[in-house]
Amino acid sequence: MKYLLSSAIILLCLACAKLIMHFIGGSFPAPLLAMVILLVLLLSGIVKEQHVKPCASPILNIMPIFFIPAGVGFIEHLGLIKSHWAFLASVMVLVPITTLLLVSSVIAYFKGRENND
Amino acid sequence: MTNFTFSAISELQPNLWWLSIPFIIVLFLALRAVNQSIKNSVFKSLTNPVFLSISIIALLLVNLNLPYTQFASHSKLLSWLLEPAIVALALPLYQQFTHVRKNLLLIVATCSLGIVNATVVAFLLSILFNAPAQLSASVAALSVTTPISLIVTDSLGGISSLAAALVIFIGLLGALFGFMLFKLINIFNHESQGVAMGTACHAIGTAAAIAEHPKVGAYSSVAMALSALLTAIIVPLLYPFLVNILL
Repeated sequence: MKYLLSSAIILLCLACAKLIMHFIGGSFPAPLLAMVILLVLLLSGIVKEQHVKPCASPILNIMPIFFIPAGVGFIEHLGLIKSHWAFLASVMVLVPITTLLLVSSVIAYFKGRENND
Repeated sequence: MTNFTFSAISELQPNLWWLSIPFIIVLFLALRAVNQSIKNSVFKSLTNPVFLSISIIALLLVNLNLPYTQFASHSKLLSWLLEPAIVALALPLYQQFTHVRKNLLLIVATCSLGIVNATVVAFLLSILFNAPAQLSASVAALSVTTPISLIVTDSLGGISSLAAALVIFIGLLGALFGFMLFKLINIFNHESQGVAMGTACHAIGTAAAIAEHPKVGAYSSVAMALSALLTAIIVPLLYPFLVNILL
C-alpha cells in the first residue's frame, strides 16, 4: 500500500507538470517542474516525507542506471567532439576551477578562511 | 551472401533487448560494489561506477561496431524511468532544506552565483572558440548533477549525452584536484569548501568532500541539492538571454 501511495504521488506530480507544460507551452522540462511541485508539497506539509520515501529511496539509490544509456550517447558525436576538443577541454577545466574559486572565496569573505565552527 | 548475412543479423538484433538492460544493471551494481570497498579517495574517484559503466559500454559499442540507436532503443525502459527519478529528487532536496535553514540565504546566493558563473564562462568560451550553437547549448548546464544536466541540455537544444559526459569529467577533476585548489588559495573553512564542491562538482565532488571531512560533506550535499533546483530555474532563462545579447 505504501509503495502504491508513494509511486502515485510521484507519478501524479509528473502528470500535473506535463499537463501544465502542455498548456502553457515553452521548453521548460516537465520532470523538473514536477520536482519543484513535489518539493513545495513536502515543504508545505501537504505531503509527508514518509509518504514519498518507500518508492523515492530505492529509485534514487539506483538512479545512475537510468542515465547510463543516455550518457553512452556521446559516441554518436565522436566526430564533433574530435573537431572541437580544445573547446571542450577548456570548458571542462575552466568551468569547475572558476566556480570553485568564486563560490569558496565569496563564502570565505563572509565566514572567514579558517574553521570557526 | 552479404545480403543474407545482413538480414540474418538484423533479425537477430531485436532479441538483444534482454541483454542491454540486465547488462547495464549488473555492470553498474558490480562496479559500485567494487567502488564502495575502496578506501583511498583518489582511487575511489577514479573508479566512479557511472564513469566506468559509461566508458565500458561506449568502448564495447564502438569496438564491436554496434549502432548506438539500437542500444538506445533496447534500453529505452531505463531512460523512461529517469523522469520519475528526477521527481523523486525532491526528497533529498527537502531533507537538505531542513538542515540549513539559518544559512540558507548565503548558500542559495553563492550557489546561484556559481551556476551563473559556470554558464557564462562556458558561453564565453564557446564564443572565443567559435563553437557551433549545438555545442554551446551542450555546455550551458554543467555545474549540476547529471540527470538535471541531461534534461536541461535537452531543453536548450544541446547534445545531452555530451553534457552528461562533461559533467562526470568535471566531477572527477573536482574530486581529484578541488582540495589542492583550496589549499593553494588558503581556504580551509568547511562551509566554503563544501558549498563550492557541491555546486561545482555535484555527486562525485560530494563523495570526495565526505571523505575529506563529514562537515564539508554535509555542506556539499546541501549545495548539490540546491544547485539541482537552482540550475533548473536559472539556466533555461539565462542561456537564451545570453544568446540574445551576445550573439
